[in-house]
Amino acid sequence: MPSSSRIRNVFEPLENSVVAELWNSRFGIPTQAFDGFRFFRKSHSVWVISNSHIPKLSYETLGMRIMNLKDRPWKPTTCALQIFGRSATKNLIHLDEAGAKLFLTGGSQPILSLSEPGYVVVFYRGDVLGCGLYSHGKLISQLPKERRMDAKMQGEDI
Amino acid sequence: MDSLERYREIVPDFEGFLAIQNLPLLHSARVNTLKVDRSQLLAQLNEEEVGYRVFEWYPLGLALDVESPGKLLVNLQGYMHIQEEVSMVPPLVLDPQPGEQILDLCASPGSKTTQISQMMENRGLVVANEPSLSRIAPLRSNCERLGVLNVAITRYDGRRFPGGPFHRILVDAPCSSEGRARRGQGVLLRCNRKRSLDLQALQIGLLKNAVQLVEPGSIVVYSTCTYAPEENELVVAEVLDKAHLESASIAGLKGCPGITEWEGRELNEDLAKCTRYYPHINDTGGFFVAKLITD
Repeated sequence: MPSSSRIRNVFEPLENSVVAELWNSRFGIPTQAFDGFRFFRKSHSVWVISNSHIPKLSYETLGMRIMNLKDRPWKPTTCALQIFGRSATKNLIHLDEAGAKLFLTGGSQPILSLSEPGYVVVFYRGDVLGCGLYSHGKLISQLPKERRMDAKMQGEDI
Repeated sequence: MDSLERYREIVPDFEGFLAIQNLPLLHSARVNTLKVDRSQLLAQLNEEEVGYRVFEWYPLGLALDVESPGKLLVNLQGYMHIQEEVSMVPPLVLDPQPGEQILDLCASPGSKTTQISQMMENRGLVVANEPSLSRIAPLRSNCERLGVLNVAITRYDGRRFPGGPFHRILVDAPCSSEGRARRGQGVLLRCNRKRSLDLQALQIGLLKNAVQLVEPGSIVVYSTCTYAPEENELVVAEVLDKAHLESASIAGLKGCPGITEWEGRELNEDLAKCTRYYPHINDTGGFFVAKLITD
């Protein structure tokens, strides 16, 4: 992947195929799942937004942050896995109720899986819960704090 | 509660209006159709033994009989969004269409932004503007949790938002928030005529900019969660030389017409097309909605 400017609010366009191939290679997600979207890179983050005219403005965000390229391997975001991870065919783990509860509270658990070590899509009853890290027979929850079950929630609003 | 006294003449059944201020609101939520079907969410609520009632006027709105809806798995998963019942009205009046370019001028925390996004089926673009840095995080977090893919966030002063034209604009303006009193009476302690007049200058600036960021014949919706005419009809009146009003009512939800007289002053009679939502009429919070069509 090409390197990127670190200047604030500069989103550099990325080819769809670059992103689609990375997700296909790690999770077996068909590359067509990324048709109809545009991708941008800002510093270490990759963003996805529905394909549409984007007026020339200074943006804080462009759609959803889907992956972080800072470390190797690249890390998918939980929110992106909940959209695109549904069609994953490899490196995924299905949890039972007790496992899901542990995962949702941010905990780690021993697990037997054929997944390659690294980031995995975590499922419970057909729904994507989010991103996990599978390593040495252990699944470590990567759920952001505000999405965990015991976390303090965003206040409701009117 | 004293601050509400000045509305005695304009609010129907004023004693009922005062009495309900002390009754806490039921929790309510909107089905997020970007992530689930309504039937799937209802089945999951049944399974978790969460009591609910579907709003008669809006099939995606639910009253929830549960203490902490934010902690439900269906909320963490982004299958629903906790949102006050009448707060779901302005996007319906705006009526955004898939593929359009929409501006939400005062977006955070994003209840209406994400409702607009789901009405557009994640297609087109919603520019969600929010000048305050500290309010960007909740806006972004809600968009992410709800699986929104057509929202871009900007941080301009809405009075000087550049660019356009947009197909439609929502101005859900900062306001004195009297309509939120059932969430906590504290909000009323800060409310008075002077504060409303201070906010009015900002609100007029926002709405005046909005009407010139769309093509003629486009919809601009102005909404607040306050009763103060200074922040509602008197703001809308300031742009009636550039836009005209259409009815902002919603089938099945009882609203009251906008006022056409205040403090002895006659106002433009078209302002009756605005809609006022009072808490004691539908057992909700309070809201004001105006639908403007630019000339």
